[in-house]
Amino acid sequence: MDILLCLKQVPDDSVEIYLKPGTEEVDLDNVTNVVNAFDTYALEMATRFKEAVGGEITAVSVGPEEARNAIKNSLAVGADKGYLISDPAFENADTLGRSEIIAAAIKQLEDERGKPFDVIFCGREATDRATGQFGPQLAETLGTGIICDLVDIEQTDEGIRGKQETEEGYHLVESVTPCVVTVNKPPYDPRYPTIKSKMAARKMKIPVLSAAELEGAEAGEPNVEIIKVYEPAKREAGIKIQEETVEDSAVKAVEMMAEAKVL
Amino acid sequence: MAYLISEEAKDLLEAVRDFCENEVKEQSKEYDKTGEWPKEIYDKAIDMQLQMLEIPEEYGGFGLSRVDVAALFEEMAKADAGFATTISASGLGTKPVLIAGSEDLKKRACDIIVDGGFGAFCLTEPGAGSDAGAGKTTAVKDGDEYVLNGRKCFITNGGVADFYCVTAMTDKSKGVKGMSMFFIEKDTPGLSVGKEEDKMGIRTSNTCDVVLEDVRIPASNLIGEEGQGFSIAMQTLDQARTWMGCIATGIAQRAMEEAIAYGKERVQFGKPILKNQALQFKIADMAIKIETARQMVAHSLTRMDEGLPFSKESAIAKCYASDIAMDVASEAIQMFGGYGYSREYPVEKLLRDAKIFQIFEGTNEVQRIVVANNTIGRF
Amino acid sequence: MNWDNREDVLVFVEQKEGGAVKVGLEALGPAQVLAGLTGGKVIGLVMGEDNAAAVDKVSVLCDEVISVEDENFKDGNNDALTYGLEKIVEKVNPAAILAGNTPLGRELTARLGKRLGLGSAQDVIDLKTEGDQILWTVPVYGGTVLNDIELKTLPLMATVRSGAFSKPEEKQKAEIVTETVEVPEEEIRSKVVDSVKEISEAVNLEEAKVIVTGGRGMGSKENYHLVEELADLLGGVVGATRPAIEDEWVSRDHQVGQSGKIVSPALYIACGVSGATQHVTGMTNSGYIVAINKDEDAPIFDVADVGIVGDVMKVIPVMIEEIKKRKEE
Repeated sequence: MDILLCLKQVPDDSVEIYLKPGTEEVDLDNVTNVVNAFDTYALEMATRFKEAVGGEITAVSVGPEEARNAIKNSLAVGADKGYLISDPAFENADTLGRSEIIAAAIKQLEDERGKPFDVIFCGREATDRATGQFGPQLAETLGTGIICDLVDIEQTDEGIRGKQETEEGYHLVESVTPCVVTVNKPPYDPRYPTIKSKMAARKMKIPVLSAAELEGAEAGEPNVEIIKVYEPAKREAGIKIQEETVEDSAVKAVEMMAEAKVL
Repeated sequence: MAYLISEEAKDLLEAVRDFCENEVKEQSKEYDKTGEWPKEIYDKAIDMQLQMLEIPEEYGGFGLSRVDVAALFEEMAKADAGFATTISASGLGTKPVLIAGSEDLKKRACDIIVDGGFGAFCLTEPGAGSDAGAGKTTAVKDGDEYVLNGRKCFITNGGVADFYCVTAMTDKSKGVKGMSMFFIEKDTPGLSVGKEEDKMGIRTSNTCDVVLEDVRIPASNLIGEEGQGFSIAMQTLDQARTWMGCIATGIAQRAMEEAIAYGKERVQFGKPILKNQALQFKIADMAIKIETARQMVAHSLTRMDEGLPFSKESAIAKCYASDIAMDVASEAIQMFGGYGYSREYPVEKLLRDAKIFQIFEGTNEVQRIVVANNTIGRF
Repeated sequence: MNWDNREDVLVFVEQKEGGAVKVGLEALGPAQVLAGLTGGKVIGLVMGEDNAAAVDKVSVLCDEVISVEDENFKDGNNDALTYGLEKIVEKVNPAAILAGNTPLGRELTARLGKRLGLGSAQDVIDLKTEGDQILWTVPVYGGTVLNDIELKTLPLMATVRSGAFSKPEEKQKAEIVTETVEVPEEEIRSKVVDSVKEISEAVNLEEAKVIVTGGRGMGSKENYHLVEELADLLGGVVGATRPAIEDEWVSRDHQVGQSGKIVSPALYIACGVSGATQHVTGMTNSGYIVAINKDEDAPIFDVADVGIVGDVMKVIPVMIEEIKKRKEE
């Protein structure tokens, strides 16, 4: 299987992000960028898939020079090749624009290789805006199949079969290839790189694909405009009970709940 | 304020930090309570090849400078000193072979580590601590074999090692000049693990007696020549000491970081306690000590890399770093106040972990003898 | 605002197990607001194998129902559903398209967005109309920051968060229009070959009046039974935080928070829950919040009406006894 993997860097989602006081500016000063968590699951699933059925993983990311790190990290745990798609013209691309840019890059790489990618992996959503639009829109742009929210994948005669998580369990979905898949949290964690693979990844070349090299890659006019940025109204904190004994506290709390008529 | 390391090592440091933050730091708290050896953590560390950091490049290692490796060890030590000690003890166990062993033994020892095994160094005996020459373990040549008998104690990785480098007297009449060093693989008949120590600190590391009862090994398992054992052991410790200084520095760094974080959060008299200059000075003193210790570690390791003598520097690094680790951990507890004494908070563990670094691989009194001898010279 | 000769608001109402999904019905609420601006109808769109039950529900909440019935449109066949939605949009030429922010709602709007070149607002929690401007409020960074966004393309398109809007008042049964959409074979690239139910119990957090949630502070699966006991006593539903689910104390359909369910019960009791934003954004609209945590600085206390500082294992049993006493009185 020839696999393509899309990676995006986002502000570290383990940090709670707020606005700079009195402004509409999101305070990202002390927040490092990390690879989107769902993309790391996609990388792990793609790597396991490659290990099971053979093939090669090519990782791409749209972003500034810093996004090279995301690709380098993927090369240390499973990806075989990486390309950075970078151009000042791409900077303000929205989801739709990004799917156009990556689709153009994919076509370009497929031309160079002389064969298509079979499966294109991406995360189910990016943790910053969490819209989940990118994967389906990439599939539409490429004209391929799409299966969202996979937690497992296997090869079939005609293509792939995936476990798509649903509220009650899962759908088993089959698709012909090429196919885009978006990955949810599988029942395993992404692996760490080994010291050796990390050192080897450092030495690998990550070519840059810029607008000049990608036919039809345009960020386009954004279809959405952000008018206002603010923090949600905070709920007022009520009363904190800390009586002599825990028992007293509990009794008092029940009294208050009864008074508020919520029991 | 850190080791000056290569770009490559900076990359590795990021990965090791990520691993330690997610897989070691919190997990080790529970193991510190139970004293259980956390095999699952070590399995993951081995998956990441952390045990191979000290293996020379020609035997499958990575060819990193020692200072690069030190930065990674400090990160492990910050997460849990017992974890770092276990990993480092395999390095200690491999050193006698690398210093004086045959090509075949070097390959065997390194292969075991590369494949995910552990090593152990067995010098100390119940009656032979600082006075290592008083060891009672014997090795008697019998044809193409040696037969070993005796009991070693306080052996780090004693219960989990895949190979042991063991000192034994081949000629008691010659004192330390009659001591030899042997390579013994686990599962060799007669080799068994004795009692496990219930330790004050570094509780995620394993410390056991190792018992030798008519252990027969091929004569080719002799490391170096008969009578060289004491010298090999001393060279081993000379090198290994700096690594203990490195881990101790990591403990101190963690203690300082915890103290700063707490001091910024804890409000008394209407302001964070770290707004008090008295406490800022405490932090400054911690930083002065830690940075000095770290640079001493780096200096000793650079001398090793360059092939320069390093006995004195290594002893200074170990002695100083472990002394200041105790100071800094103790001051960190002081800054936490009553909470610092509680096991719910992280700093009391650091003090318990730090103490052993003043004791093992040559007590700090022995380190001062080494420094004195190297400084004063014969007269 | 120039609606470009578009009037109606189309709402895709998703079905699960032969019934309309609640958030789909809720989307009819903001649709009504928009229809007020355009002067058009609210049209509920139901696509599936057997639409009877869903059409029944939808028909009293909107001005017209379009029902498209075909086995091609069964749950999970998203290629067909995308195609069907596209064809209906072509026919209706709506001013806006709304759906619930479910996995299907997200996928359909994303794909339609690409096909028609539309921007969209995802996971909308509020709709504001100020003069000529229509603003959609969406959470970013896990809900610590909100954006009001304006869509630059027509039809407007959005998915709404479960529980963020109320479904409209019931009214007279609307006209039901049956449409057929033939899906060309080449449109279907992927197909559901099996649907497996792993979770048998029905958990209805979104409609619960009382939710008792246990977090990491519960300590173990055994201790979690106390949460269940308290929930049973109050006639409520058991909720959970992500750590409780990751430790497999309870199944994932109990999860409350950004990556689980967004809830708004009258009473919410958080036991051993620290109060990470990812959780709090899912329950902050509850009527009355009670929090129990031994750490007096836990952020959960910042949103609680009543906070009890203490060990959950000691507090909950006393609460259970007290509540029982009051019930007997």
